[in-house]
Amino acid sequence: MIHKLLKRIAGLVLILVILSFFVFALLYIAPGDPAEKRLTSQGVAVTKQVLDAERARLGLFRPFLVRYGEWLFGVVRGDFGVSFKDDLPVAPKLFQGLQNTCLLAVSSLLMALLLSFGLSIASVLNKDGPADHLVRICAFVSNSLPNFLISVMLMYLLCIRLDLFPVIAAKGDLRGLVMPVLSLTIPMCGRFTRQMRAEFLDQMRSDYVTGMRGRGVRTRYILLNVVRNALGHIFTIVALQIGTLMGGSVVIETIFRWPGIGKLVMDAITARDYPVIMGFVVIMGTIYVVINQLSDIINHILDPRTAL
Amino acid sequence: MKKKVIRIRIIIMTVLALLLVLVTTFADVFSPNDPYATSASAIRMAPCPAYPFGTDNLGRCVFARVLYGGRTTIAATFALVAVSFVIGTVIGMICGYYGGILDRVCMRVADILLSFPQMVVAIAVAGILGGGMKGAMIALGITMWVSFARLSRSHTFSLRNEAFIKAALFAGKSDPYIILVHILPNLLAPVLTNALTQIGTTMIGLSGLSFLGLGVVPPVAEWGSMISEARAYIQIAPWAVLFPSLATILTIIIFNYLGDAVINYREA
Amino acid sequence: MCAASNMAENTEMNILHISGLTASYEEAEVLHDVTLEVEDGEILCIVGESGCGKSTLIRAICADPVLRITGGSIRYREQDITHLKERDRQRLLGTQIGLIQQNPWGAFNPIRPIGVQFRETYKSHGRRFDADQIRAIFDVLGLKNADSILQMRPCELSGGMSQRVAIAAAFALEPALLLCDEITSALDVTTAAAVTEQLLTLKRTQGTTIVMVTHHIGMARCLADRIAIMYRGRIVECGSTAEILASPQHDYTKQLLQDVPRLRVE
Repeated sequence: MIHKLLKRIAGLVLILVILSFFVFALLYIAPGDPAEKRLTSQGVAVTKQVLDAERARLGLFRPFLVRYGEWLFGVVRGDFGVSFKDDLPVAPKLFQGLQNTCLLAVSSLLMALLLSFGLSIASVLNKDGPADHLVRICAFVSNSLPNFLISVMLMYLLCIRLDLFPVIAAKGDLRGLVMPVLSLTIPMCGRFTRQMRAEFLDQMRSDYVTGMRGRGVRTRYILLNVVRNALGHIFTIVALQIGTLMGGSVVIETIFRWPGIGKLVMDAITARDYPVIMGFVVIMGTIYVVINQLSDIINHILDPRTAL
Repeated sequence: MKKKVIRIRIIIMTVLALLLVLVTTFADVFSPNDPYATSASAIRMAPCPAYPFGTDNLGRCVFARVLYGGRTTIAATFALVAVSFVIGTVIGMICGYYGGILDRVCMRVADILLSFPQMVVAIAVAGILGGGMKGAMIALGITMWVSFARLSRSHTFSLRNEAFIKAALFAGKSDPYIILVHILPNLLAPVLTNALTQIGTTMIGLSGLSFLGLGVVPPVAEWGSMISEARAYIQIAPWAVLFPSLATILTIIIFNYLGDAVINYREA
Repeated sequence: MCAASNMAENTEMNILHISGLTASYEEAEVLHDVTLEVEDGEILCIVGESGCGKSTLIRAICADPVLRITGGSIRYREQDITHLKERDRQRLLGTQIGLIQQNPWGAFNPIRPIGVQFRETYKSHGRRFDADQIRAIFDVLGLKNADSILQMRPCELSGGMSQRVAIAAAFALEPALLLCDEITSALDVTTAAAVTEQLLTLKRTQGTTIVMVTHHIGMARCLADRIAIMYRGRIVECGSTAEILASPQHDYTKQLLQDVPRLRVE
C-alpha cells in the first residue's frame, strides 16, 4: 500500500515536471525571444543594442536547460518570476487571482453537484417515466451549450430584460456571483447529471440490488447502497470535470470581469506577459493533476476492490 | 423495434447535419448580402426583408455572417476532428499491431497528455501562438488525437489475435497490407463513432477560443467571435447576438444528438 | 400443458399459482404461457438447460423491473401479485417470498459490512435487529464467529461463505416460500453439497416451501418432491419426482434423463 502510494507520488511529480518543461518550452516556440517580447510588451523601441543588453540581463546566452532549471527552482519555491509589464513579482497576483477563482469555481461545483445529484436520483427512480425524460432532455441540452453562450443569454435575460442583477457587480456584492456561478453551473450540471444517471443505473442493474429487492429492502436503503457504491466513480467524474471548469472559468471571468486567475491570464495574453501565462498553466496543471491522483486514492479507500 | 426508432432518428439527424454542412459550404449561394460589406446607413438595423437577421454595429448583414461564420466553425471543426482521427488511428494501429517499446512510449505520452487540463493548455497554447484559427486548432489538437489512438490501439490489439489475421500472416501478406486491408475496416465503426461524438465538444472548444479572441482574427465571420463582438451592444441590437447563438446551439445539439443516437444504435 | 392434473382438486391449498404467464425482455418473449402450481411445504425443482427461461420465471415472481409481464397471472396464496404496487411488493418480498441468487456475492452490497445490511433488511420490514436469531441460523449453516462475519464485507468472504450468509439473510425473515436460483452452481462440489444439506435443515425447522431452479437433474432427483421440466420458455412436463423419472412423456425430458448415465429407472 505505502509502496504503491509512493509510486503514485513519484508519477505525479514526473507529470508535473513534464508539464513545467512543456510550459517553459512553449515560450521558445512562440515567435520572438523573451527579451524581444519583454521589450515590446513594455513599449520600448527595439534596437540591436538594447536587445543584446536585455538578453544578457535575462541570462538568455546561457543554455536552455540551465535557464529551465533556474525557473523550475523558483517555481518550486513559489517564485514565478517578474511580470514583463511592470517588473512586479507574478506570484502574489496569481495567488490573489486564484483565491477569487476558487470562490467562483467551488461554489459552481457544489451547486452543480447538488443539482445533478437530485436530478439524477429523480431520474433513476422514475426511469423511462416523464420525469426521467425531462431530466434527460435538460441535461442533454445544457451539456450542448458552451458556457460563454449561457452567460451572454443570462446577461440579456436577467440584467437587461428583467433587470434583476447588475451586469458588472460592485466589489463585494454577492449578487455579482450569481450569474458567473450559474453560467459555470449549467453546462457542468448537464454533464454530471448524464454521467451520474448512467452510473446509478449501472449500479441498479447489479446483482446486489436484485438481492436486496428480493429481501424486500426498502427503496431508500437500496438507494443508499447504490449511491455509496457509485461514490468512487462520481469522484472520478468530478475530478475529470475540474479541467473543463478551469477552462470555463477563464471565459466566464473575462465576460464578467471577475478578478480571478482566468481574467489575469487573458489580460496577460493580450499584453504578451509570458511569466503570468506560464504561472497560470503550472498552477492550474498542478491542481488538476493532484486532484485526479487524490481521486484515485479516494476511490481505492471507498472501494477496496479497485486497484491503486 | 427499438432499433428501428433509433435508425429513423439517425436518418433525420444526418439529413439535418448534411443540410447544415451544405448550406454553410455554399454560403455564397444562399447569402443575400456580402458578409464583409459595411454600411454606415444600415447600422444595427432590426431584422427586415433585406437583412433577415438584422445588421451589426458596422452595418454588416448578420444573416450572411451567420452563414459564412458557420462555414468557418464547421470547416475548422471537421478539419480538426479529421486530422486527429487520422493521426490518432494511425498511431493507435501501429502501436497495437507492433506493441513493444514503441507502444509503451506512445501510450505513456498519451497518458501524460491526458493528465493535463485540456482547456487550460489550449488557452495557453493558443494565447502564446498568438491568435488565428490555426493556433486554436493546434491548441485543441494536442490532446485530441489521444482518444482515437487509445481506441484504435485496443481494437487492433484484440484483432491481432483473430484467426483471419493469422491466416493473412501465413499467406505472406505484408504488415502494411494487413493493417490497411484487415485491421482498419474492422475498427472503423467504433473509431468513427468516437469522431462523431467529438464534433460537438470540438465546436464548443473552438468557438470558446474564438469568443476569447484566441481563434479567428476579425473581421472573419465566426459564431463565437460574432457573439463576443455583439454582446457589447446587446441592449440595442439583441439580434446580432441572438442569431449566431441560436446557430451555435442548434449545430452543437444536432451533432451531439447524432453522436448519442449512433452510440445507442450500436449498443441496442 | 402441465396444469398440475394430480392436484387440481385442492388448488386453494397451494402457495403459488402461475397461470398462462407470458413475459418478455425488451422485445424478445422469453416465457410463453407458463402454468405452474406450487404446493405448500414441498420442494419443487424446475429443471432445464441454460437459457430455457427458468431463471426468468423466478424473476417474474419477484417482479424484476427489466422483465415485462405481458399476459397471465401470478397468485401468492389468495393474492394476485402479477402487477403489485412497489410498496406492496416490498412488503411481500423477503417476509413472504424469499430469494437466493446464483451469484454467491449477489445478495449483499459487496463493499459494505454485512451486519449493517442485515440491519437494513430487518428495518425494511419494521423489525428489530435480532443478533440471536442470526447467530442461531449461522450456527445451522456452519458459520462460526457470527459477530466477526457481521463486521466483514462480502468481498472479503469466499463464495461458499457468502452463499451461506445469503441463505441466512433469506431465512432470517422467515418467508413461507423461498425461490432458489441455481444457488450451488458457482460453488465447488463439496461446498455445494454442504450448503444444500444445511438449506434442507433450515427448511425442516421452518417448514418453508422451496422452488429450486437447476440445470442438474441429478440434484432434482435427490431433493425434489416434484419436478417441472422447462424447455424453450415453456413448462413441458410437470409431476412427482418418481413419475417424471419413471415415465417421462416429453422428448426433451427423455433426452435429459439419458444424459445422466447412472440414472436407472426402476
